[in-house]
Amino acid sequence: MAITRRKFIVTTSGVAAGAMAAPYFFTKSAKAADEVEVGILFSLTGGLSIIEKSLADATLMAIDEINAAGGVLGGKMIKPIVEDGASDPKTYNEKASKLVIQDRVPTVFGSYTSASRKAVLPVFEKRKNLYIYPTYYEGFECSKNVVYTGAVPNQQLSNYIPWIIKNLNKKKFFIVGSNYIYPREMAKVCKILIEQAGAEWIADEYLELGHSEWAAMVNKIKKSGCDVVLSNVVGDSVVAFYREFGNQGLTHDKLPICATVTSEIEIAAMGAEFAVGSFTSFPYFQAIDTDINKAFVERYRKYVNDSTAVTHHALESSYFEVFLWAQGLNKAGEATPAAIREGMKGQEMDAPNGHVKIEAENLHTYLTPRIAEWLPDGQGKIVDEYPAPIIPLPYVAYGETADSLFCKEGGLDTSKL
Amino acid sequence: MKRLLLNREALAYIIFFAVILSLPLFVDLFWLNRYSKYLVYGMLGIAISLSWGYAGVLNLGQGLFFGIGAYALAMSLKLASPTSLMQGSDTPVPDFMLWNAEPGALTHLCCITKASFLWIPFQAQWFGIMMGVALPVIVALIVANTIFRKRISGVFIAIIMLALVLLVRLIVIDAQPMTNGFNGLTDLGWLTFGGFEFDPYLTETFYLIAFSLIAVLLLTRFLVQTRAGLILQATRDNPDRVRYLGFDVPGYQIFFFVVSAGIAGFAGMLYVVASEFASPTFMDLTFSISMVIWAAVGGRGSLLGACIGAILINTIEAAVSETEMFVEAWRVIIGLIFVLVVLFMPRGLAGAMNGIWDYVASRRRGAADDASPAE
Amino acid sequence: MIDVIFIGLSLSSILLLIAIGLSITYGAMGVINMAHGEMVMVGAYSTVLCGIYLGLGVIFAIPVAFIVTACLGWLMERVVVRRLYGRLLDTLLATWGVAILIQQAVRLELGLSFFGIHIKGLGPGLQNVPIPDYLRGTISVFGADVSAYRTFIIFVTIVVTAVTWFLMYRTPIGTQVRAIMRNPQMAAACGINVSRVNALTFAYGSGLAGIAGVMMSGFKTVFPAMGTPMVVDGFLVVVAGGVGSLMGSIASAGLLGQINGVTASLTNDILARALVFGVVILILILKPQGLFSFKGR
Repeated sequence: MAITRRKFIVTTSGVAAGAMAAPYFFTKSAKAADEVEVGILFSLTGGLSIIEKSLADATLMAIDEINAAGGVLGGKMIKPIVEDGASDPKTYNEKASKLVIQDRVPTVFGSYTSASRKAVLPVFEKRKNLYIYPTYYEGFECSKNVVYTGAVPNQQLSNYIPWIIKNLNKKKFFIVGSNYIYPREMAKVCKILIEQAGAEWIADEYLELGHSEWAAMVNKIKKSGCDVVLSNVVGDSVVAFYREFGNQGLTHDKLPICATVTSEIEIAAMGAEFAVGSFTSFPYFQAIDTDINKAFVERYRKYVNDSTAVTHHALESSYFEVFLWAQGLNKAGEATPAAIREGMKGQEMDAPNGHVKIEAENLHTYLTPRIAEWLPDGQGKIVDEYPAPIIPLPYVAYGETADSLFCKEGGLDTSKL
Repeated sequence: MKRLLLNREALAYIIFFAVILSLPLFVDLFWLNRYSKYLVYGMLGIAISLSWGYAGVLNLGQGLFFGIGAYALAMSLKLASPTSLMQGSDTPVPDFMLWNAEPGALTHLCCITKASFLWIPFQAQWFGIMMGVALPVIVALIVANTIFRKRISGVFIAIIMLALVLLVRLIVIDAQPMTNGFNGLTDLGWLTFGGFEFDPYLTETFYLIAFSLIAVLLLTRFLVQTRAGLILQATRDNPDRVRYLGFDVPGYQIFFFVVSAGIAGFAGMLYVVASEFASPTFMDLTFSISMVIWAAVGGRGSLLGACIGAILINTIEAAVSETEMFVEAWRVIIGLIFVLVVLFMPRGLAGAMNGIWDYVASRRRGAADDASPAE
Repeated sequence: MIDVIFIGLSLSSILLLIAIGLSITYGAMGVINMAHGEMVMVGAYSTVLCGIYLGLGVIFAIPVAFIVTACLGWLMERVVVRRLYGRLLDTLLATWGVAILIQQAVRLELGLSFFGIHIKGLGPGLQNVPIPDYLRGTISVFGADVSAYRTFIIFVTIVVTAVTWFLMYRTPIGTQVRAIMRNPQMAAACGINVSRVNALTFAYGSGLAGIAGVMMSGFKTVFPAMGTPMVVDGFLVVVAGGVGSLMGSIASAGLLGQINGVTASLTNDILARALVFGVVILILILKPQGLFSFKGR
């Protein structure tokens, strides 16, 4: 008996200790001195992986290209550490903590949804690290630990609403979106712009994220008497929405859907015939007819080994932000978050969508607003394009202008709100 | 034999306590924080085990109580966050209310958005802490009273709880002006006791959670061997018999259901301390079912087993998902383990360990009998 | 008004199509099949693959999806479910585990994506199913324009329900299933091959899920995680309707669908969904055995 009990204690403690020590077997070896590590944090599994995987791929492609051209800081290779956010903000928070606290990377590229960005923000702010966020979002954020390379409302909506009213001759807007902060904020901005232009909005409706039963909502749209639908619907709901729209007999020539989120990926998933004649506003479309863009699409398709792969706005931002980061890093001369951030201010380059530049005051990016009409082949036809990139204004809904920035280098000027 | 069983169990508890209390000696602060979260999951495993293994009530919506507890404390911590305090007013307003506000509304908690006045009492941290346990308990009391007095049993309870957690999740996401909807409550201040701030990456925070877990474990262990606990287990096995014997069956079921909910709410609060945010994803169906999976694998009939099961599964999951090869496939492994455990090890790991012990013990006894001279 | 009622009818028909297979497996075998949603998903993917590799449209995909999911269901019953009869809550968990496996199988393209092989039509992306021209657009019913595809779904649901009712109440095997429902030991004693009938019932229920999947693919997004919300809806319908009662499932699907449709049209979809949850909870509290239950077992 005594022997057995001792054996039991020994084996249990051994097992317990082994389990607790397991992490050590899985941590990587010390990093080489001629490498710069960066974190890549996107959802590789779960509902959002559809889009986020392409963002991860574009980021990795950019890293490969930079490494092939000689690396950074005079010859150091960039080593990406890829983590999976699993489409869950809790997981995003954990992985961000791991990258920043355990792996001690100087920068992380990541996030698609605002929910995941908000979940990881405390990690970057408290630990004074750097997050490069490639996705268009609703604005109203001024973090000194994030560089935003996606469009903000004044780069997506300020051109869009007046164009719809003037060029499509529509006066009654039905605003519909998914039920979380991005669509709600976008709707707020829309309403202000609509009223400023002298038109009216008839409804402002929301549907749960991921919800795919659109019968009642489309019926409401039909009966509302609107003549244009402003869609801020996000994710796979978009597909069900456009299909239901078509199935209930509505057509885009009479009642167009003007979207802020529907991109090449959603069009491919829904079947291009359901989107013909509808519009989307993005700084980047795969159909942009420049040599830089065409070459980019080719390289991307080769990289992911899929000749039918599509590129979209967030993907293109994921791509060029790495180059801007590398430029900032080279200028800073050292791989620390604060130095890289300072180095990135004012960095510019010719990206597939046009010339881009990071605004030093608010760490957002100059982008060229465009509007495209969708064609039967799933590509957009650019129908409106600004001649030059415009300054990003994350607080445009609250009266921010280029002369009166709310978000400055010193922080957010709350008195202006 | 009984004395031996008690010793075996006490031994397991002591080893477990020793391991988790000595953890800071072995792992760095980052992993310590991770383990804090897993210890919280362990607490959830205990809650499920109490409800399911001992009371026979499968609760598919335990995430509801976890979420309520988390949000209660998060509300208090949000009002104490640096950004809120930066506003410079005596009654700071959570930042998300600023952009959800009706134009021209007073920047004060009473009236900035609809129902924002509900936040006013949370300005006191103790209120948030109290609500973190009290609110789940009250909700559980109402729900349990309705369910158990009507003799609803088995799968119907599971479905009602499932529908309830999804319903509340929907409401929380929809009430954006009040709860910040899908984004949840982020950018929180740190829990403060007597001037000491519980930064999630301090050893002290880990010990706070570890001792809480030990306390909960000992409390529930004590509860199940009281008379009430024994009657509860009898109810699990045959409610009619217990009824005929004259006991107030619903009363016991309600009591333990409520205790289980209180533990889950407490766990929610500790999770907020460790991870610095609260989100409606706490009330996702998959999360609630995961808790059941942890308890099943660990052994639903054993409080310690369920606790260890939760900690172990999450540790493996984290380790596996970081090995590049398995990043895409870890869910398959978990799914497979789960199915195998349900099919072949219904009493979970704890049952398996007990089985091994019994087997070894009986072999030893057999050998001793053979060796002793025949009478 | 007609269009609102039609929407309710359409939602009811979708709920019923999903729930009917669940009702059979739960009622007949006392098995909570959490993988039912994944069966719907497999049916949807069968349609996608049919379209890509066989060039078949939605109509012809129905028998293909039925066979595929029925086989999958039969396999699942033999390997997993068989060992769990009598352990109701364990079936819930085990089938949830199987659901995870099925979902990952599709997402990882049956494991081949590890080797860099990609099967078109599988994988984590969104898939697209074109519907035939004659099902597009709207038709006019009592003066209102209603979606042709949804009308088709209602029609398919009616046919499936009628066939199931016929099988259950007018054929020998249906009688056997109902006998097993009432008292499995007695049925076995009467010479019914309980294990074979159980396997066939489970396969049939899964096959129905496959048909539901085909219908879903026409208007919902097809992706690996599409099944989970469906199994939740399905269970709410089945449990609210009453275990083992086909009539009950029909009634509760009708009720919940109409409530959802009308509320969504009057207010918004989120409130409608919350109301549906609330109604289910109410039904279970007021009538704990569901709307129509029979005193069985």
